[in-house]
Amino acid sequence: MTKPILIVGGGPAGLAAAHSLATVGRASVLVEKEDKLGGAPILSGYAKLVPSGEWAKDAIGGMVQRVESESLVQVETGATVTSFDGGPGDFSVELSSGSKFDAEAAILCSGFTHFDSVNKPEWGFGTYPDVVTTTQVEQMISSGQGVRCPSDGRKPQRVAILLCVGSRDRQIGREWCSKICCTVSANMAMEIREELPDCHVYIYYMDIRTFGLYETKYYWRSQEEFKVKYIKARIAEVTSDGEKLIVKGEDTLVKRPITIPFDMVVHAIGMDPNVDNPDIANTFGIDLEPHGFIGSANTYGSMSQTSRPGVFVAGAATGPETIDDSIAQGHAAAMAVLSGLREAMGQTA
Amino acid sequence: MPIHEKSLIRPENLKTHDSLILDGVDVSGHWSTFIESRVVADYNEAIEDEIAALPGGEHIHRCWQCGSCTNSCTVNAINPDFNPRYWIYLIRMGMESELLRDKDIIWQCVSCNKCTYACPRDVFPEGVMKATSHWLELKGHTPKSPSMHFDEVFTEQIVKTGKIEESRTIRRFFQRTNQGLLQDWMLEMVKQLLRGLPIGLLTRMGLATFVAPRTSNWSRASAAMQEYIDEQHEKQEEALSLAQLVKAAQEDVAA
Repeated sequence: MTKPILIVGGGPAGLAAAHSLATVGRASVLVEKEDKLGGAPILSGYAKLVPSGEWAKDAIGGMVQRVESESLVQVETGATVTSFDGGPGDFSVELSSGSKFDAEAAILCSGFTHFDSVNKPEWGFGTYPDVVTTTQVEQMISSGQGVRCPSDGRKPQRVAILLCVGSRDRQIGREWCSKICCTVSANMAMEIREELPDCHVYIYYMDIRTFGLYETKYYWRSQEEFKVKYIKARIAEVTSDGEKLIVKGEDTLVKRPITIPFDMVVHAIGMDPNVDNPDIANTFGIDLEPHGFIGSANTYGSMSQTSRPGVFVAGAATGPETIDDSIAQGHAAAMAVLSGLREAMGQTA
Repeated sequence: MPIHEKSLIRPENLKTHDSLILDGVDVSGHWSTFIESRVVADYNEAIEDEIAALPGGEHIHRCWQCGSCTNSCTVNAINPDFNPRYWIYLIRMGMESELLRDKDIIWQCVSCNKCTYACPRDVFPEGVMKATSHWLELKGHTPKSPSMHFDEVFTEQIVKTGKIEESRTIRRFFQRTNQGLLQDWMLEMVKQLLRGLPIGLLTRMGLATFVAPRTSNWSRASAAMQEYIDEQHEKQEEALSLAQLVKAAQEDVAA
């Protein structure tokens, strides 16, 4: 009898991996530390997803339902893996819930952690209530409440979105580009302009990285159809004059200092390595890459391998990743597991 | 001059006090020279909307400041202060005082449209230049430029008669720009014409000078065109809040 495959993390990548394995008749155990599946898009209450424009609760919710109704997937929520021993084809797994089982392989889909803006105190988060994160604005939109200043519930007249908060910043040890925030911010700016047409939205950027086809769909469209303004400046500090937030920086294009009043400042927060990564690396005996994400062997012959044979990785656990690519990687990791098992059984052609 | 080579300190921003005492210390003379703050303290979202309401300015909001327009610009090659990229930015951020510093060169665009073909975002910078000089005139920052006078004379004649009679256009243009009609080159041209052209043609030209040729059954077309033009002007005046501007100016005079 074949053993199940262990999948760690019930976000887009983990859900995709579980579905793929079930499709080819392989059993899996999906372990999720939170009490429900869906990962960041569900747990953090994202609104409409890029690039489909579908609500997260519908799109990712659909993936959750599909996995939950699948008899070949055993879902273990509110649990973590506490011990993992053995070799490819014959691992023994122990969960925090106490249950033990054997597994042929493991796929780590343990995702990321949102950057905590408190680590950039000069940008006012935690000091001024109207300084918020992209995640908070997502929640304002997805809850149906609408975009409002948390201090008094008023509709903002002018909103600043600061890019690269927790990304590309050696001062706080985060040198990577978080990849998705430019596109998310452009999308959010359009959503704000759509809900509040009299509200002016300014995006402060170092570079705009709305890669690939997102260029026209988000960057150009936000400018051309929604008149969002992009200003090349990395903001020095966010303060307050008691009434409005004051954004200070240098407008690099006119080479002049700026102190502009705003009603709301949004931090486009980046993607940190999952805070649990050191524990995960320890438990699974795998290497992390220098930034703290899970290291993946990027070979052309096989995807998704970690430093330990039989342990695979997919999605934002490997570094900042989009939802779509995380899903693709989840499917790819499932395929990599199957092809690894086939090789182990000497069935290679 | 490219922005990054511009001096950050402008003579008009230097303030010197002949006698100044700060906290009991005499800092008169050149010790009391101060530089006015260069800080941009607010944006003004109205100016972009105003420029966008004028013909040619409609796509200004597309600009992402790549500088293709300035790099391709015929006038910039001669006068480095002529910088469409920079002006588009000032308009978009509402930095009016900065824009007005260049009010006497913005109209110098020669409409070669090299920028139109260089712009990767179809901003139509040439159109924006046209809209901006128009805006400067409508707001009373600059007098009507010669080219605006010419456009008006030309258009008025077309609307009225459906035809262009060149000598009439030239006469009216000179009149409105306060230029004498009997200019040397003009006299020379007339002399040459008289000498070289067949009598029949000369007679017709002479007649046309006194009796303006008209397209037959033009009145309905003329009325339709005039109606459209009036409509557009009304819209522009409203977008630029010109009525309020005039009212404020009248109150200033009265006060």
